[in-house]
Amino acid sequence: MNTNSNSYTVVYTTLIVVVVAALLAFVAMKLGPAQEANAKAETLRQMMAAAGIKPADALFSTSNADILSLYADNIAEAYTVGRDGRRNGELSVLREKIELVDRLKPQYKAIKSGGEVTLPVYVFKSGVAVIPVYGAGLWGPVWGYIALQEGRGSIAGAYFDHESETPGLGAKIKDEPAFREKFAGKTVGWGEEPAFRLEKNAEAGGATNAVDAITGATMTSRGLDEALNVWFKAYERHFKTEED
Amino acid sequence: MEYLSLFVKSVFVDNMIFAYFLGMCSYLAVSKNVKTANGLGLAVIFVLLCTLPINYLLNRFVLQPGALSWLGKDFADVDLSFLSFILFIAVIAAFVQLVEMIVEKYLPSLYASLGIFLPLIAVNCAILGASLFMQQREFASVLEAEVYALGSGIGWYLAIVALAAIREKLSYSNIPAPLRGTGIAFITVGLMGMAFMIFMGIQI
Amino acid sequence: MAQKLKETILNPILKGNPITVLVLGICSSLAVTVQLKGALVMALSVIAVTGLSSLVCSLLRNTIPMRVRIIVQLVVVAMMVILVDQILKAGESTYAIDKQLSVYIGLIITNCIVMGRIEAFALGNKPIPSLLDGLANGTGYGLILIVVAFLRELLGSGTLFGLQVLPASYIPNNLVILPPFALILLGCIIWAHRAFDKELQEK
Repeated sequence: MNTNSNSYTVVYTTLIVVVVAALLAFVAMKLGPAQEANAKAETLRQMMAAAGIKPADALFSTSNADILSLYADNIAEAYTVGRDGRRNGELSVLREKIELVDRLKPQYKAIKSGGEVTLPVYVFKSGVAVIPVYGAGLWGPVWGYIALQEGRGSIAGAYFDHESETPGLGAKIKDEPAFREKFAGKTVGWGEEPAFRLEKNAEAGGATNAVDAITGATMTSRGLDEALNVWFKAYERHFKTEED
Repeated sequence: MEYLSLFVKSVFVDNMIFAYFLGMCSYLAVSKNVKTANGLGLAVIFVLLCTLPINYLLNRFVLQPGALSWLGKDFADVDLSFLSFILFIAVIAAFVQLVEMIVEKYLPSLYASLGIFLPLIAVNCAILGASLFMQQREFASVLEAEVYALGSGIGWYLAIVALAAIREKLSYSNIPAPLRGTGIAFITVGLMGMAFMIFMGIQI
Repeated sequence: MAQKLKETILNPILKGNPITVLVLGICSSLAVTVQLKGALVMALSVIAVTGLSSLVCSLLRNTIPMRVRIIVQLVVVAMMVILVDQILKAGESTYAIDKQLSVYIGLIITNCIVMGRIEAFALGNKPIPSLLDGLANGTGYGLILIVVAFLRELLGSGTLFGLQVLPASYIPNNLVILPPFALILLGCIIWAHRAFDKELQEK
């Protein structure tokens, strides 16, 4: 057979593409649920690490199934709030159908562009409320979860993650427990400008709503600082009205 | 202003070679003299400029979760992003092949100087890398993607011409025998990369 | 025959190492060598992809139309890479690693080793030798990756596989972690390799 004729080339290419696409679609469909379960468990681990349900190391070596149970056992309620600070939705906390707002990027964009938002608040039985933060680091997105004490004026714990910050520098926001541990006990300056400062020598002034930036990772720290303030601002009305 | 900062950032700060090591294979193989380096560099810029907008539109209207919603409500939940690698690379390979055929037929003189590089470009990681970064960063418009393509192309071009110039000089110096050629080229690129790191601190 | 097979396997690991001798596949490799764990997963993924794509392309070698050969090869390679990516994402224990490798998994597609072996070997040889050639080249590549990652993690963080091995008094060298140092380290590995094997030296 002439493998160089035009019709053969066209038929061959079409066939290859169709076969490959079908195979991939099949695999993607089969593995999709497992991938989503992984992503969800990862989010839950990070949230519970911030809330201090268990130490981060223990959470990250717990299986997906146990993570779901642990979350269901410890969560009190989860809901979303809108731009005006009022609740605009409930999130299920039943073990079998845990609902999360885990796509933070669209929310981040909506906050910045002034569109309508559904910002999640996860209230644990211990009384702390966990909220997400999300922003742009040096190479890619940085995000995290902040646990607020009852009264919502001070921070109980935090957990940060990133997509591709420089390992050993920007990646310390995740890899160095000492960094996230510094957030515990700090306050959020609701109504202040800025509400929180992540800057060089910020702790030296004695301010309670400040943490020192990571040395050598200026851009990552700046990104995280912006993320914290954007999200704190977005939640401000909610936590203020809740206090009253 | 936003475009300018994106451009400067993609040329210097997010340099394809020094920050991401993309397109390293052809970068090291074709940087022995300035003339060929110049040819390959220009070809990379050209292919980037042409394929990135195509891939941008593909991503926006076919691949992204919910991208197919223009087909009707039923398609709003379709997520084809697992096909992005294959579609991006197919666009790049097909485009390169097309250009090769056109140039060979109508511009034989250009083909003589540029033609040999074209097949190399299909597998140049910088081209696919740019498409993947474009997808990751979710540019707002085709124009923004185009500016990014131009910036990263020029960054790659600068890097290869600079290395070629250094390597031309290096061929006259007395380097320990085992280090000659590839070895010293790697170390040179490393030092150039360090120099480029100063751009990371700039704020635009 | 046995001699030839042995050569197919051993050559890419030492004398014809894809990274230090042929200078292929640098692109996607260096950025994942900051930590040993990521490098190991990357190495295994590349071994799987080079082996399987060589096998498939060798099976198809008599049917592929010459003119669109590059596209067909790329489609086969891309398919393998997507499979690896999807499987890593679905596994409970590999999910975190896949996240760390992010964009570089995709770049295995354009890893010149994969395409280079298909063009140079798989298109002209029977499936079994092609599979072995692919696997061996992937291994030669992975070996260098692991050596670089070992040195970078040890000197840059004082750890191996995330466990502290150097005494706490060791101050991690931040330079080692930054991208340019990977290149310098690779230059030194090439230097050592060629000092050892004089035939490989360039004039």
